[in-house]
Amino acid sequence: MVLSGRAEAFEPLVTPYRGPILALAYRLTRDREDAREVAQEAFLKAFRSLGRFDLSRSFRNWLFQIAANEARDRLRRAKRERAAFEAAAREGIAAAPAPEAGRERRETRSGIMRALDALGRREREVFVLRDLQELDIRETARVLGCSSISVRVNLSSARRKIREAIRRDFPHLEEGR
Amino acid sequence: MTCRKLRKLMPLLAGDDLGPRRTRAVRAHVSACPACLRELEELREALSRFKAAAKDESVPDWSEGEWKALMVRAAGGTARDGEKKRAWGGHVLLPRWAAASALGALIGLVVLSVLFRGPGPGPAERPDPPLALADAGRAQDVVSMTMVSQETGLQIVWFFDKNFDYKGEQE
Repeated sequence: MVLSGRAEAFEPLVTPYRGPILALAYRLTRDREDAREVAQEAFLKAFRSLGRFDLSRSFRNWLFQIAANEARDRLRRAKRERAAFEAAAREGIAAAPAPEAGRERRETRSGIMRALDALGRREREVFVLRDLQELDIRETARVLGCSSISVRVNLSSARRKIREAIRRDFPHLEEGR
Repeated sequence: MTCRKLRKLMPLLAGDDLGPRRTRAVRAHVSACPACLRELEELREALSRFKAAAKDESVPDWSEGEWKALMVRAAGGTARDGEKKRAWGGHVLLPRWAAASALGALIGLVVLSVLFRGPGPGPAERPDPPLALADAGRAQDVVSMTMVSQETGLQIVWFFDKNFDYKGEQE
């Protein structure tokens, strides 16, 4: 029904994923406000693109893909903005604090999020999708638009770094206390 | 397989993400190497606890109001898109209808004109020949008759065409 353009059929279709999509966005952006915007935009884009949805695919993974792409775009934009701001600050043009920096400082970061901070962008995407959202390797590769080999390489590296972060910052997790 | 090589594969082995062939080779090594087995179990345990902690972690959630607003926004966006499409469609269709109507009217007019056409204009009528008393070139087409009054001496010339239709007179 929703594929034929009935807007009222969209809500029951996506309601089961409202939590997972927001959680995914939060773990990828590591910021509550950004996560909310990313998730909103992902749902809006999903609705607009429903006509192009391949029925042979998993709807959940399709939503994850849209959200992951949206989060990546947002992080890239934020990075560019930060770089522009820092360049301006170096030249003495701006004296105000960086727009993202303030928000990030205010954010009360959980241990999990601090551990995820240790990962590179691709490693974090792979680790979050495979280990926290529990997609398999092939699904993760499809969501991220990369090869299974790339997923395995990044996953291996991400798990190694997470293990080091646990040893360093969360010994209670390692010892099971 | 050596311990060094196995340690490289251990993060994938811990999540059962190795292919079946490698998994068999790794298991064969681990079953015979207590140090690698212990390391593998520790890694599995640590990752498992990390995942459990992540599940328990407070992640943001939608308030009902937010969620409803988002769904309304999605539906509203669609409605607006639809209106836009209709508006564009109307914009595009209007000239089509206008063109179709104009074409229909034109065809109708042509058909009507064919059906109800009166006799067409005949060959262009020649302008009346200029009256001349003596025109050798038209002598055969024009006949003149001259009347002269015996009392007053007044003279009048009547002109007729070759059918003897009256064409004019000259005093």
